[in-house]
Amino acid sequence: MITTFRQLIDACGSKADLMRRSLVLSFLSAITQGLAYALLFPLFRALVDDADDVWRYFAALVGLIVIDAALRFAETRLVTRMYIEVAFETRSDLGQQLKRMPLETLAKRTTGDLNHVLVGNVNDVVAIAGGMFSVLINIIVAPSVTVAATFFVDWRLALAMLVLFPLALPLYRLIRRQGARDTRLTTEAHADTASHLVEYVQGLPVLRATRQVGRRAERLQSSLRRLRDAQREGVEIGTIPSVLMAALVQLGIVVIAAVAVGLTLNDRLDAAAAVAVIVIAIRFSEPLAMFANMSVMFDFMQAAVERISEILSVPPLPTGVGGHEPAGAQVEFRDVTFAYDGSDDVLNDVSFQVPERSLTAFVGTSGSGKTTVARLLTRFADPRNGVITVGGVDVRDLTQERLMNEFSVVFQDVYLFDDTIAENLRLAKPAASDAELVAAARAANCHDFISALPQGYETTVGEIGGALSGGERQRISIARAVLKDAPVVILDEPTSALDTESEAAVQRAIDALVADKTVIVIAHRLSTIVAADQIIVLEAGRIIECGDHDRLLGEDGRYTQMWRAQQSTRHWQIVSA
Amino acid sequence: MSPSSRSSQSPPAEIGVDAVSAPDAGADPGTDDPALWSVIAPVRREIRMAMALAVVGGIAWIASILLILPIARELTDDSPDTGRLWWLVAAGLAAVLLAFLSRSFSFRASHLGAFRLEQLLRTELTDHLAEVPLGYVVTEGSGTLKKIVLDDVRSLHAFVADSTPLFARAIAAPLLGLVAMFVLDWRLALLSLAIVPLGIVAMFFAFRDYEDGRREVDAANERMNTIVNEYVQGMHVVRLFDDGSESYRRYRTALDETTRTLKEWNEKSQGGVYVARTLFSALPTVLILLAVGIPMYRSGRVDFPMLATFLALGPTVIESVLPLVWLQQPIVRASASVKRIERLRAVDRQSRPESGRAPLDGSVEFRDVSFRYDGRADDALSGVSITMEEGTVTALVGRSGAGKSTVAQLIPRFWDTDAGAVLVGGVDVREMTPEQLMGSVSFVFQSPFLLDDTIAGNIRLGDPDATDDEVEAAARAAQAHEFIVADLPDGYDAIVGERGSSLSGGQRQRITIARAILQDNPIIVLDEATAFADPDNEFKIHEALAELARGKTLIVVAHRLSTITDAHQIVVLDEGRVVECGRHADLVAQEGRYARMWSQFHDAQEWRLRSARGDVLDEVAAEAST
Repeated sequence: MITTFRQLIDACGSKADLMRRSLVLSFLSAITQGLAYALLFPLFRALVDDADDVWRYFAALVGLIVIDAALRFAETRLVTRMYIEVAFETRSDLGQQLKRMPLETLAKRTTGDLNHVLVGNVNDVVAIAGGMFSVLINIIVAPSVTVAATFFVDWRLALAMLVLFPLALPLYRLIRRQGARDTRLTTEAHADTASHLVEYVQGLPVLRATRQVGRRAERLQSSLRRLRDAQREGVEIGTIPSVLMAALVQLGIVVIAAVAVGLTLNDRLDAAAAVAVIVIAIRFSEPLAMFANMSVMFDFMQAAVERISEILSVPPLPTGVGGHEPAGAQVEFRDVTFAYDGSDDVLNDVSFQVPERSLTAFVGTSGSGKTTVARLLTRFADPRNGVITVGGVDVRDLTQERLMNEFSVVFQDVYLFDDTIAENLRLAKPAASDAELVAAARAANCHDFISALPQGYETTVGEIGGALSGGERQRISIARAVLKDAPVVILDEPTSALDTESEAAVQRAIDALVADKTVIVIAHRLSTIVAADQIIVLEAGRIIECGDHDRLLGEDGRYTQMWRAQQSTRHWQIVSA
Repeated sequence: MSPSSRSSQSPPAEIGVDAVSAPDAGADPGTDDPALWSVIAPVRREIRMAMALAVVGGIAWIASILLILPIARELTDDSPDTGRLWWLVAAGLAAVLLAFLSRSFSFRASHLGAFRLEQLLRTELTDHLAEVPLGYVVTEGSGTLKKIVLDDVRSLHAFVADSTPLFARAIAAPLLGLVAMFVLDWRLALLSLAIVPLGIVAMFFAFRDYEDGRREVDAANERMNTIVNEYVQGMHVVRLFDDGSESYRRYRTALDETTRTLKEWNEKSQGGVYVARTLFSALPTVLILLAVGIPMYRSGRVDFPMLATFLALGPTVIESVLPLVWLQQPIVRASASVKRIERLRAVDRQSRPESGRAPLDGSVEFRDVSFRYDGRADDALSGVSITMEEGTVTALVGRSGAGKSTVAQLIPRFWDTDAGAVLVGGVDVREMTPEQLMGSVSFVFQSPFLLDDTIAGNIRLGDPDATDDEVEAAARAAQAHEFIVADLPDGYDAIVGERGSSLSGGQRQRITIARAILQDNPIIVLDEATAFADPDNEFKIHEALAELARGKTLIVVAHRLSTITDAHQIVVLDEGRVVECGRHADLVAQEGRYARMWSQFHDAQEWRLRSARGDVLDEVAAEAST
């Protein structure tokens, strides 16, 4: 319980003070309420005895209720403010963190997962922090205060009321434990069903052919059955402790009533106090029973807090304090070794130099490490060993902004934001004039089709979504790179997914982009890179050959093999008629 | 009380939100949502049972409160009837036990019902998916469909399992309490309700701008959601253009916007909500009852036990108003899910004959086919007629969006034509059973699909009755046998791993080709671009495809024109129409569109990246030597 409070306050970050203040207010409000109920004892007694001080007690009750209302008003205001500000701050922190954490770590999470953290989990935390805690405090503190006050009336009665709490606590723990287990079981069952569903949907074309669909899709149906079994088990076994808790609270009231009746019959207690205690017990029974339900909320909150801090606690890649300036646009790898978490080395002792304004191509089979080279350059992750320099400066000594200034990257998959084309281009240079935009678009061979769009450069990418072909999107991304005008251009098989017509247009755009730049290209089609200054052949993370086209052909090694294989497939026919 | 609702996995955060911000949708009771009730119809029995038990529980609860009256009367009597008093306490015990048991069983019934409903709906939806156009399935994608079948169905749980009994109780208990109060003492009953008109006025003010505000908040949240996705997906681009602020701006703007909207909404509705919440809590009613009750008691118009009973009963009835308001939340949430589920259910199933007509041969014919995708303004195909003889190769070419993929997809009936007919083996595809159609046409144009099963199991999907030898023969033909035996520890019994991730793209592709070879269908539809998903293994895939297509009718969506120069016919599509059709040499000679494409293709093939300088290597060599 205390840990939960601590987590909660930590989760509020710089707004922890607001949280503390609101908790204090809740606390005070609960005490006021407890005292208000305790006032029923003297008030009832005065009423039954026909004493005149009944109005005094009534006035005291009015006072307490007014104080409580004021406290709750202040608390509501505070909590609402906190709720909004904590959500804002947490999302803002998360946003910054996503930009700072290694892309390698980020890439392991799906978009849906991250969205769930940034939107869903943040809501869970603030909502529960905002609302549930004051309710919880109320449920615990108000009855406790009343019980304490009852000691002044009759200690046996107070003890009878007190029995409820110590008995309830171990049950509460059991509820939390059982809850965690159920949650795990059903979560696993859900995950299992999710992957079978995806499999089913993706496999429908094949499964339909063999009629293994719907009720006959045995793999899917059995995972649905397992899920229901897990859920059932949760209801039948998992809820026993909370059922017991409810029973305990309900029976407790009867016990309290019985004790009060017994005491009164033996003349140890006046009837007014006995009636008061029954009324109070009934008033508190409902919220006390709710207590068990609330434990679920804390599970949710705890899970949400953990998921948020899991992201926030990823250490960012260390960056330089600035002050270093790359001298020139040459790139060098010195004895670089790299492995993704938990796998074998992807790059092993790789060293090469890319002189300024030269063209260097990386070739090799998939898994050879050629994409990793480009990723390390842009600091997707840092090498385990060795040094990567740009313009003579270790990439780790540059700030992220300074490093990214050096590179333009054209990926195979183009990402455009759901914004206007102009804004997508301006991403590269926020201050660019319209004329600069047009010049970049012309260079990238995309001005004509952009101008033909209904709103020209102001057309929103999302609105026309499917209307932009892959090649057109690629050319917009190249225009963006042209506008950025970075000294080093990295091309990651930019035309491999395009049709012939688009390919030619994109090729012209690339010609404009790479003029006078240092170019690093990850190539599949060897014919495109025969003019490279150096071709680096990677295999299983090592450089096995390096040189220009003619020299490599002369060596009659792996490159020559690849070249011959590609030359032969150029003349391959799907089926010779 | 109802035992924990923990088995519902959706975070019940809305209760928390409401505790601070506002009870939701008070003005619009979503209980009447007919779609919601119709979705849960299959488990009507369990739900009714749960609601009935909840009503019993509520009644027993009110009854236990009402017992205060006789007990207090006996206690304050000068000569209490001890026997009767203990009987009353026993009755209290019985009422409490009844309340407890009925609630527990109500909980059980509604939860088991909810779980049964989940399974029923999922089975129904996956059945449905098997009959809707495959094109719909492919377009929606496995992620979206999974979300509907799993998550949306799941989000009904909070409503079905928790809300229904709570609703029954939230209505039954106060109603009974109300009746009891008026029977006992109408004056005190009216006093207990004195707060209601005030509360309603406060609610009115609270909700006056509530709906508009809520819509704005929803819209801001929706935008936030989109921006978060964009921010995450585009992170590599975000960083690339990171100058410290700009790329973060879109995210930041959305965040500011959401925060501002939320603040305004709270500012507006906070006061009214606060007043409503305070008025509908217990203490103000206690106060009113006492303020008038004390003088009434003193003047002998009401006795102490009656007053005490009302002090317990009155606030209980008043307090039960608010849950009715926040109980709307799961309904609002469930309604959105129900809409998505209904949308999926509403997708028309394709007509399927009970006993279809078997294809007569391996030919394919398009007869004056027109087709338009839902929601598009233009036809994807209009008046397309193509004849593909058994055992011939037909290549479909054209720029992206020309309609070549649509032609390919209509053959295995991913969609149904709007006009005209697609005939396989002389039979309209709509007159064939799925097995007959899928037993005639194989296609290789999705990203390769593998079950999380053994290699052999995956290949055998093509023919469940195939022997081990046949499986191996197919794998050999698909150039897959070698890596299966050499690279995989368990060979054919190796589990493919989650969605085939332990294999390279080319290896997965070859397994699916082996499956198609085993299937041995007379017609093969092939998308060249996806068939070569892994360019490194191009050569092996070529071999595998050649095996697959041997002697078959082959329809290929072509991208690299060099691969189809020998095809029996090349169909050139543009804007959904066949503009040219013929053999390569003839089409080139026509000097039409195909001829232009052919020369463009050559230019693209000849393209070379050029270096800014040519003397670099010498420099590198010079540096290395120093």
